[in-house]
Amino acid sequence: MTERVLALALLAAAGIYVANALPLPLGTAARPGPGFFPLAVGVFGVSVALAWVIIAFRRVPAVTGPDIPAGGHGRVLATTASLAGFCLVLPWTGYPIVAFLFVGALLRRLGADWTGAAVIGLASAAVSYYLFGVLLGVPLPRGIWLD
Amino acid sequence: MTPLEGLAYGFSVALTPTNLFACFVGVLIGTIVGILPGIGPVGAMALLLPSTFALHPATGLIMLAGIYYGSMYGGSTTSILVNVPGEAASVITAVDGYQMTKNGRAGAALAVAGVGSFVAGSVGIVGIVLASSWLADQALRFGPPEYFAMTLAGLMLLSRLSGGSVLHGFLMVAIGLALGTVGMEPISAIRRFTFGSIQLSQGIELVPVIMGLYGVAEVLLIAERGIHKAHIATVRLRELLPTGEEWRRSKWPIARGSVVGFLTGLIPGPATVLATFISYSLERKVSKTPERFGHGAIEGVAGPEAANNGATAGAMVPLLSLGIPFSPATAILLGALMITGVQPGPLLISQRPEVFWGVVASMYVGNLILLILNLPLVGLFVSVLRLPQHVLATLVLLLCLVGAYSLNNSQLDLWVLVIFGVFGYGLRKLAIDPSPLVVALVLGPLMEKTLRQTLFMERGNVLAILGRPLALALILLGVLVLVIPPLVRLLRRRPDAPELSG
Repeated sequence: MTERVLALALLAAAGIYVANALPLPLGTAARPGPGFFPLAVGVFGVSVALAWVIIAFRRVPAVTGPDIPAGGHGRVLATTASLAGFCLVLPWTGYPIVAFLFVGALLRRLGADWTGAAVIGLASAAVSYYLFGVLLGVPLPRGIWLD
Repeated sequence: MTPLEGLAYGFSVALTPTNLFACFVGVLIGTIVGILPGIGPVGAMALLLPSTFALHPATGLIMLAGIYYGSMYGGSTTSILVNVPGEAASVITAVDGYQMTKNGRAGAALAVAGVGSFVAGSVGIVGIVLASSWLADQALRFGPPEYFAMTLAGLMLLSRLSGGSVLHGFLMVAIGLALGTVGMEPISAIRRFTFGSIQLSQGIELVPVIMGLYGVAEVLLIAERGIHKAHIATVRLRELLPTGEEWRRSKWPIARGSVVGFLTGLIPGPATVLATFISYSLERKVSKTPERFGHGAIEGVAGPEAANNGATAGAMVPLLSLGIPFSPATAILLGALMITGVQPGPLLISQRPEVFWGVVASMYVGNLILLILNLPLVGLFVSVLRLPQHVLATLVLLLCLVGAYSLNNSQLDLWVLVIFGVFGYGLRKLAIDPSPLVVALVLGPLMEKTLRQTLFMERGNVLAILGRPLALALILLGVLVLVIPPLVRLLRRRPDAPELSG
């Protein structure tokens, strides 16, 4: 199932890539333009992705799925959602708050108790902010209320 | 500068307090990430790349290279003691190494692995000096057709050797090359595939892609598996001394492993992993008692452990002499060089001798530090495994996020990290190796530039490349590597046919 979804997604992506490569100036064989290499890559990509789709759909799928422990899918989804949440919320809340929430919530979801999650969340947010924001001078977002 | 003078100069660079400290930090981090199953050397190097921007190019490279070869030491420790390889290049060590632990010879296995790695590292440095000087001299005569052929052949070899099917390898190459075309095109300044985004016109950064594919994806796998506690064997210092018989059995496997490892390192592909498997099967073939393998044969630890360290040295040759990386780890080293304004390529040795010789000499210093650090402190390092996995995984993710953001202070890099993390997780589930993608992303712009220059030079006749002997040889090599295995399979099936009909 994963293989078929990924193969189809890659074929679609390769198609979009070629569609966007076509309007670029192709140039001549002796003077290739900026569209020449992308078009070659795109055609190669579409052919390989198409071959993968055909193979993936011809192959008889395994009767039993891969051995994933109970709750495995939930933990992977929660981790991915936390990462996406971090990216979405960062400009609004600022780094220290989102780092605390990210570490705390994810630790709690992965099995830590409330106190442990809160303490590690607070400590890691403070240490990483000091390390990157202060010592290395990275302008980490401070949130809409501090800017 | 003769190689000996160069090496002496290199030691004067590597032994300055700053560089010595950078080397120490690098190999220490390398040992720790080698031990931890959650994060490998490539992810750790990508994580630390931003912190090298402010350093001298030689210092930054010394630290990052230290992580690379240091992880080979750390990886063997957990393979031997816990049967949990910290990274792929130590998988084969676990076979006999863990059996030795069960037989009460863990200390001897660790000591032989450490000494083997050190010997291979030292042999590898001699190899780098000889091969790089020679190759860089030759490379001064290379033109765009040769460089184009080299990148093309490299990607073909990588697709075949990176494990799994060639089709999957080609797919990864196509994605990497496509990603490399995103952004401002350097000749005509046309924006390609930016969809109106100003941030995308600077192109897709290598670091968040690597952090996603190797860091985030690995954490997602840990999250899926849930939390496991490792059972850790304890080793006393006096148990570390191998017996005379064990030394005698190990010395030739170490010597062979060093050479096999270095040569494998020169080939594009997962050199460190391949080297260990080649060395293991070689030792089993030459052994008078092959039945001991799998039951705690010390040769099965000594050979592969020397080989994976030799391979890290070999992999440095194309990077340092041609400026072409053939593995994700050396791709990061290339990134570190370019960010600090050093032009990698055949002129590196003559124009930036402090970088070339400093890094080479630091590898010797680093191997010595590793030997001193690893044997007595092995118990301390293994206790890193007691750190709860969910805490480690969450902190790795936070470091990936803040590290990716700090590259350009851009939201885009964060999204690239997350998208490639999820994509990398999908690839792991399908047992597809993402390294051709990373290498193609790095080589893509060079490939496009040299192809366009070649076509311009040859007035549009791409077949003229085949008239240049070296370019022809390289392309033939790539094609043969792709074609021979299926041909051999076909021929093996054939012999049955006449028998049936006859």
